[in-house]
Amino acid sequence: MIPSVAPAPADQAVPATAVQPKSGAKAAMTRFGSHRLFTSPGGVAGLVWLAALMAASLTAPLWLPFKTEDQDFTAVLSGPTAAHWLGTDELGRDILSRTFAAAAGTLGTSMITVIVGVGLGTILAMVAAAGGDRTDAIISRATEIMMSLPGTVIILAVIGAVGTNIPVVMAILGVLISAGIFRVILGQAKSLQSQLYVDAAKVDGVSPLGISIRHVLPGLTNTIVVQCALIFAVGMLIQAGLAFIGFGPPIPEPSWGGMIQGASQHVYDAPWLMVPTGAVLALTVLAANAVGNALGKAPNTTASHLPSAAARRQRMKSVKAAVGATASAPIPSQVVSAKGLLSVRNLSVGVDHGVRLVTDISFDVEPGTVLGLVGESGCGKTMTALSLLGLLPSGVSVAGGQILWNGTNLAASTDKDMEGIRGREIALISQEPMRALDPMFTVGYQLTAAIRRLRKVGKSEARKEAFSLLEKVGIVDAQRILKTYPHQISGGMAQRVAIALALSGRPRLLVADEPTTALDVTVQAEILSLLRALVKDTGMSVVMVTHDLGVVADICDQVAVMYAGQVVENGKTAAVLDNPRHPYTLALLAADPHTNAAEDMPERLATISGQVPQPKDWPTGCRFAARCQFAGSACTVPIPLLPSGASDGLVRCVKADELAVEGLEWVATEVPTHRLLEIVEKDLA
Amino acid sequence: MALFITKRLLMALATVLVVAVLAFLLVHAMPGSPGAVSLGAGASQDAIDAVNQRLGWNDPLLAQFFRWLGDAVQGNLGVSLIDGRSVSADLANRLPVTAALAAGATVLSAVLGIGLGVTAAVRGGVVDRAIGGFVGLLVALPAFWIGVIFVYLFAVQASVFPATGYVPFEVSPQDWAMSLALPVLTLAVGGAAFIARQTRASMLEALQQEHIRTLRATATPTWKILYVHALRYASLPIVAGIALQFIGLFGGSVIAEQLFAMPGLGQAVQTSVSTHDAPAVQGVVVIATVVVVAVNLVLELATKFLDPKLRAS
Ligand code: SF4
Repeated sequence: MIPSVAPAPADQAVPATAVQPKSGAKAAMTRFGSHRLFTSPGGVAGLVWLAALMAASLTAPLWLPFKTEDQDFTAVLSGPTAAHWLGTDELGRDILSRTFAAAAGTLGTSMITVIVGVGLGTILAMVAAAGGDRTDAIISRATEIMMSLPGTVIILAVIGAVGTNIPVVMAILGVLISAGIFRVILGQAKSLQSQLYVDAAKVDGVSPLGISIRHVLPGLTNTIVVQCALIFAVGMLIQAGLAFIGFGPPIPEPSWGGMIQGASQHVYDAPWLMVPTGAVLALTVLAANAVGNALGKAPNTTASHLPSAAARRQRMKSVKAAVGATASAPIPSQVVSAKGLLSVRNLSVGVDHGVRLVTDISFDVEPGTVLGLVGESGCGKTMTALSLLGLLPSGVSVAGGQILWNGTNLAASTDKDMEGIRGREIALISQEPMRALDPMFTVGYQLTAAIRRLRKVGKSEARKEAFSLLEKVGIVDAQRILKTYPHQISGGMAQRVAIALALSGRPRLLVADEPTTALDVTVQAEILSLLRALVKDTGMSVVMVTHDLGVVADICDQVAVMYAGQVVENGKTAAVLDNPRHPYTLALLAADPHTNAAEDMPERLATISGQVPQPKDWPTGCRFAARCQFAGSACTVPIPLLPSGASDGLVRCVKADELAVEGLEWVATEVPTHRLLEIVEKDLA
Repeated sequence: MALFITKRLLMALATVLVVAVLAFLLVHAMPGSPGAVSLGAGASQDAIDAVNQRLGWNDPLLAQFFRWLGDAVQGNLGVSLIDGRSVSADLANRLPVTAALAAGATVLSAVLGIGLGVTAAVRGGVVDRAIGGFVGLLVALPAFWIGVIFVYLFAVQASVFPATGYVPFEVSPQDWAMSLALPVLTLAVGGAAFIARQTRASMLEALQQEHIRTLRATATPTWKILYVHALRYASLPIVAGIALQFIGLFGGSVIAEQLFAMPGLGQAVQTSVSTHDAPAVQGVVVIATVVVVAVNLVLELATKFLDPKLRAS
């Protein structure tokens, strides 16, 4: 068929959000990914085919066995023979010769569509991105109109006016297609335009045009090449379609569409003819698509929260293998009978067949107590927390150790078993309440569905229960909230709803992943006091993931400070905060979260220069060494977690005792300039 | 919502107007004056001039356009230069054919595409790769080629469906359905492939949303997460994709009608362009645009209705 002119196929294959990397900085780095092309077998095969076809076609007069118009009346409509490898058509013309002779024209004129379509689309996108809201709105509106046109019909009308002048027709096709290209490129062009270095360039007095060409265009290269490949394929298909309905090059000049048309007339007496003519066109389109897809395959950074069936089977296997070794390890006797006791033993979490994100973590949570897992982002807190529910994102799984809950090792449990635990025994609340609730369903639906499922009650009872749960989490007009959609309520309200949802199965343990980080300061305090009250009323225990020592001081009985996938210090909250033994704890305290609790991570911890190392860069020695003000030669060997001397606390630092004796303090350092820039950026935004 | 609908209606109207102007200009750029076209080769220059005079061909362009527009809004698209029949009446007869074709193909490709796409996203692994490869192949195969193959398989080899021709619904509903089967199937193949890709990507994106984790944390059964929550979330982009696909399928009907000898709009475009029948070309372009724009408008409103955020506003 003539594929729809309006939408660019890539737009359909990949939703816009997937095309645009989440972080702007990354988009700038997405330069032309030639390595991606050359490491993809499909992409290489596609390139080879296109190049070979082009070469074969251009040199056709030199090697083709027959001229395209040569008629061999002794072999009309023949199948493949020694003389005619791909057979002959109704006039005895050699199919092989005609196919290859037609290739150069087809490929060449399709390039016209590519150049016009992608060129115009890119220019429009760059102008819209650079020109501000008004320009953007005008261009967007115009392209919207173009996309809603019946392109095929218009192209035919154009043919009516200009005749079958293929280059002109293909150029006009390009204009029609450019609207779709514009849509694909616009988002990325905008994000590039708004980037820091582009702003910097603006300050330096580079003209807007200069910015677009020097800074925006290079960032778009990959997308543009992908679109070129895909539009090339579309161009060929449309051109063939036009030739098929009689608007091709003048007879007797061969064209792929015309040859298929000819073959279709003989589908009764010579069906073979359909094969070579269709196959060459299909292969060429496939080749162009393969090149585009190989380049366009953006590494998917966001993991699925519900892995596919195949991925789940795979994970089950690897978990069994990893945990199998430790599963036989004796379960500590005091754990076996204790109800509501969580005991994590030597837990490791890692990327499947890759690095470890969390190594050898142990902690206990007694019933009715709150444990804080504290540290900067990238320390493995969230991974640890999610592993407790068996909700690690795809591609990440428990790589060793035990998660003992009422004496059962959850790390070795199947997803089916975990379904009986989740919600009913261990519940989750997460950082962004808005995102944690399903935007498509009302609060009431989500709450009653969970209650019916987890408490096995009827509809009307579940509704009553939903109402009383909302009241329990401090929502006054519960009746109204039940009818709202998540986007209609505030963040604080949504977090209360999320907590109510977590409580719907009367869990014994609540895993709270930064439950207050995304909220306003006053709301933070309310949510914390709600959680405190719930712990007191229900006797459940809480694992509280946070980067905020203020939250720890406020609500936690025990604290485990995590750094780079390890626990570096733990103990009773009061003991650890009043008498920190690990330099990282010292540094966190020195960063003084209390005074500016509403702000974001990097700023608050700005006094610790440097960043948490990537898991692949973790040294064998102390993982904090690169940023530690007290680091010495003794710190390059693996450091064990040893009793810190303060009650039953543990600390992982060779100099802990020394520091305690000397009473050293963490010296606040200057905020590094690049950080400062980030902060200023954020404030301006 | 009312404002939104008004805005969209105005946009739709603007689109049709733009196309009307475009069609008018294109038709005037066609080689041969109406007189020459309608009288055919061998007519005397005087006779040709007389016809042109009668049709107002030599009037100022603007006057001609507004005359045409005035007639068009009253439902009169002029008469064919070739056979002198009313263009409006002819297109009114043809519209149901193309509408049935495009609607059938859209529905079929939506059903197949969503089925394939969801399966690929949900099953993952080998199934995903197999469907991906299959869909990639379907995208690359031109519909006209597939159509001929279908004719070969279902009409020549096994006489299940008629190879060509169209039976009006009024004559025999059963034969009508049989005559539509192959053209609809032919058009739906490519559409299904595109919708399958769209669906797969949208489902995967839906499954990356954080609320999926909340649903799992509250022990929601997997089937419900997939087919109630994720599919509901993915339904917005999927319906938007189907709307876009309809435009393509409507265009594709030109080929399908040619291939299967269906007396629809597509055939009218093809013949009127080949014969330089100006009023017919102009009329069919405008009517095709009106249909596509109208269907898109409806589907777009449907998408908006699916989104609680927009429904509320
Ligand atoms: S072991 Fe050494 S580098 Fe690590 S925290 Fe202690 S003093 Fe610093």
